[in-house]
Amino acid sequence: MPSNKSKRRKNLIALSMVAPFVITFLVFFLYPTLNMLVLSFTNAPLIGAGDWVGFDNYLRLFNDRLFKTALFNNGYFILLTVVPTTVVALCIALMINRLKGRTQALVMVLFFVPYILPVSVVTQIWEWMLDFQFGVLQPLISYFVGKPVAVFKNPYWVMPVIAAITVWWTTGFNVLLFIAGLRNISKELYEAASLDGATSRQLFWRVTWPLLWPVTALVLTLQLILQLKIFDQIYLLSSGGPFNSSYVLLMQVYREAFQLNHGGYSSAIATVLFLLIGVVSVLQFQLLRLGRGR
Amino acid sequence: MIKRANRLVVGAALAALTLPAVAAQEVIWWDFLGGGDGVRMKALISEFNAEHPEIQITGTTLEWGVPFYTKVRTAAAVGAGPDIMTYHLSRAPLALEEGVLSEITDADMKDAGLAQADFFDSSIAAATTDGKLFAVPFDIHAVVLYYNKDLLTGSPYLDADGKLTGMDTLEKFEEALAWLKSEGVETPLTYQTGGAGGVWRVFYTLLSQQGGQFIVDNEVLPGDNAAKAVKAIETMTRWQTEGWGPEQADYAASVALFSSGKSAFQINGVWEVPTFNDLAASNSLGFEWSAAEIPPFMGSPATWSDSHAFAIANQGDKTISGEKRTAVMNVIGWMEKHALAWADAGHIPAYKPVAESAEYGAMEPNASYASLAKTSAFDPQTTITGVASPTYDTAINIISPAMHGYFNAEEAVEQIKQELQAMMQ
Repeated sequence: MPSNKSKRRKNLIALSMVAPFVITFLVFFLYPTLNMLVLSFTNAPLIGAGDWVGFDNYLRLFNDRLFKTALFNNGYFILLTVVPTTVVALCIALMINRLKGRTQALVMVLFFVPYILPVSVVTQIWEWMLDFQFGVLQPLISYFVGKPVAVFKNPYWVMPVIAAITVWWTTGFNVLLFIAGLRNISKELYEAASLDGATSRQLFWRVTWPLLWPVTALVLTLQLILQLKIFDQIYLLSSGGPFNSSYVLLMQVYREAFQLNHGGYSSAIATVLFLLIGVVSVLQFQLLRLGRGR
Repeated sequence: MIKRANRLVVGAALAALTLPAVAAQEVIWWDFLGGGDGVRMKALISEFNAEHPEIQITGTTLEWGVPFYTKVRTAAAVGAGPDIMTYHLSRAPLALEEGVLSEITDADMKDAGLAQADFFDSSIAAATTDGKLFAVPFDIHAVVLYYNKDLLTGSPYLDADGKLTGMDTLEKFEEALAWLKSEGVETPLTYQTGGAGGVWRVFYTLLSQQGGQFIVDNEVLPGDNAAKAVKAIETMTRWQTEGWGPEQADYAASVALFSSGKSAFQINGVWEVPTFNDLAASNSLGFEWSAAEIPPFMGSPATWSDSHAFAIANQGDKTISGEKRTAVMNVIGWMEKHALAWADAGHIPAYKPVAESAEYGAMEPNASYASLAKTSAFDPQTTITGVASPTYDTAINIISPAMHGYFNAEEAVEQIKQELQAMMQ
């Protein structure tokens, strides 16, 4: 049966090609994740095994004031970043799309540059610009509110400022996605609509917006996942302060694990975050798809 | 130079006589000393290596704080840790809970040529748990009161020798601050008001001076300790509202206020002593300065202190033993006896023969503030306190905002209690 043989051979080749990824995924992602899940049911320290404690860690979460604060702050940060960064990226993409040739390439590069910077560089730049004593942006702040503000030590300023920095940093990538989406929309549609007397506003809402919706939904979902995982900027800029106004879930995971040696409890928080991201992003993506279907 | 070369030759010759056939022991050394004191530590290591051909230290400097302690713990767990490492005694309790430190036995101490009685009691106490010694203290470092003599000239606060005087109560200190402010000194008293370390050290000093204890039997600020903490925070808040202290000053900014002559007083660690010594030596400071033990503002003398110590990682079967352990103890003994070079970094040697030597007595201002070692207040021995701990974080997260008017001292103390108590598992 030669055909059967060649089929098996084909399968083997296919298997050998996906194997590197599958093995890496199993060893470096699935295995640690499952271990984390097991760990969350124990009282293990950071290193070594612990005793089985059932759902104790999870029950403890319900009475943990800091956990609630962190959950709230994660939500607040989502509000501050997900939709704003999508809107900003879309506006920038629309403007870039009107440019031509080299100017377009140059402007695109300018918006993309922050994205390639490592987070430590980004936070350092903004820390200097916003420094309470010497920052170049402090005169601007003084102009609007009357006095300089130590933004990372002020409970009202800290989250919006970190959100703004995050948008500045990551928006370049979303711009790229939107530009790709815009280029996929056929020019003929615009021409046809124009011939029928559509205004530029109608062109956007009737042609661009619906056809771009898959990209918009993707960007929104990616951002949701990314911003729920917020840690670096907060750790580097405010360490969760002042009085926990920027304390988020991953800060708590870090602190419980590395400062307090509570490996089990910290795994429980991480598991909750993992589930949260899973549920929320699936839910959002489905909702966005439904929204489009109507 | 020649003298030193001679010493080298003699040392090498002696070593060759005593240990003819033994190959050099390599000692892996980890520390977290990245600043000015790191330079001095590296000099000490090279000097040791030059004097001891039979023992060679290979040093690595890692990132201070949580990264250092995380790496030590993970490395020791798999037997890839260092032979010797520096450790903050304030962070030792967590290490002991995890069993990261190897006990230093009497035999070890003998190998080093040291005895526990040679050290300041407070430092040995901080390194001892259940009657067992887990680290050899190297220094005691604390906060001191730096003062600008030029700005205080003409006030009753300097004596004939130019030393700080008449500061034995909080009222007098605050009178001095008010006087300085009226004389046009922008920020009479500077410290890191916008950072964890500076706020914690001042707070803990003021708490300890009232006889207050931060944690007793696993309870955060029990009984009247809470009221004492409130008083400490209220005092720090008053310094801010009166305009005596800098608003939200980061570490570098707080030091710059003093070195630029805008502050007459600075409360900061002894580790900045070499900074001002160097500036004065190059004639770029522009004023006369000195430093003194923090006066007993709240009643009795006490100063926040911590200690750099030497420790051996407990790595199960791979914990060093035998000749290597002897070599490591040799290193520790030698370092202790050469701690004068370390004192140059501002730290007070924990080893009394050096701290009480005539050479140390001649070092200024070090000798002036060395008295604080007798009343040093170490952080509580718990797993949630000490360098890079959640307690340090509450200083910036809760005390500093209270000082800057976001809520009052009682609320701050209540929050500290709630937050830290929840972490004591």
